[in-house]
Amino acid sequence: MEPTYHDGGFNFCWRLRTLFSEPRRFDVVAVRFAGSKVMLLKRVVALEYEQVEFRDGKLLIDGKAIEEPYLHYPCDWNLSPRRVEKDCVYVIGDNRGMPIENHHFGQTSKGRIMGTPLW
Amino acid sequence: MVKIKYLLIGVPMVIIGIVVAFIVFPSEEKKVKKSFNLLSEWVSKSPEENAFTMLQKMKNIGTLFDESCELKVPSQSLSGSYKREEISTYAGSARSYFSQLHLKFYDFHILFPEKEGVKVTLTSRLTGKSTAGEQLDETRELECVLKKIEKKWLFSQIEVVEVLKK
Repeated sequence: MEPTYHDGGFNFCWRLRTLFSEPRRFDVVAVRFAGSKVMLLKRVVALEYEQVEFRDGKLLIDGKAIEEPYLHYPCDWNLSPRRVEKDCVYVIGDNRGMPIENHHFGQTSKGRIMGTPLW
Repeated sequence: MVKIKYLLIGVPMVIIGIVVAFIVFPSEEKKVKKSFNLLSEWVSKSPEENAFTMLQKMKNIGTLFDESCELKVPSQSLSGSYKREEISTYAGSARSYFSQLHLKFYDFHILFPEKEGVKVTLTSRLTGKSTAGEQLDETRELECVLKKIEKKWLFSQIEVVEVLKK
């Protein structure tokens, strides 16, 4: 999640934020693996049933370009359109300066979202 | 007075007995975790590791696997069934690309669907540095099936769970 959050940084996970309400676009969320000891910090960019695409580094949701003010690194990603499945959201990190194949991102179940960082 | 004396001697003895029993006869869950701890120890590598240790660890890794182990990796060509010897060879070859490796497991969920089999869901984190100086930091959720063969829990299936689907 560079540059928004730095590797090795310290934070708390605010679990109530996603317990009673749905994750919204641009929310930064903690995505769990098998448990809560190791989690990923990612940004929600698309919600269920929306279509996600990257064209020359530009994020397109349902075919429309989305402004992402939190990005600071140049991006040249290309990703063919794909639709987010039911009960899922599409999450991506803010560090788009790295090659797309090295970046861990994609669709995840809402059940894996543990909360949002407290600050 | 005599009763209290017996209690003072008896209670600690019972407690010591229970503790000893737990150490001498570990639960099946502990034995399963031991297989993961050994895998973690033998996959991990320090920069000072010599050739003898490297060969020994490579050989040891194979002993943790069933005669054949199925690997399931979403959208990668690594999926397939591997023999114990192949796993040792591939593990040795993969380790040689790195000067440092640390494998750690977190969040164990252990289920015993049958007496001689166990299903373990957990998070694995592999960190290290390649011989070319590149940093490695890979975290994955795994679903492993282990079978009890000759009193040892051996890996017979490892599946990488797709947490984020591109």
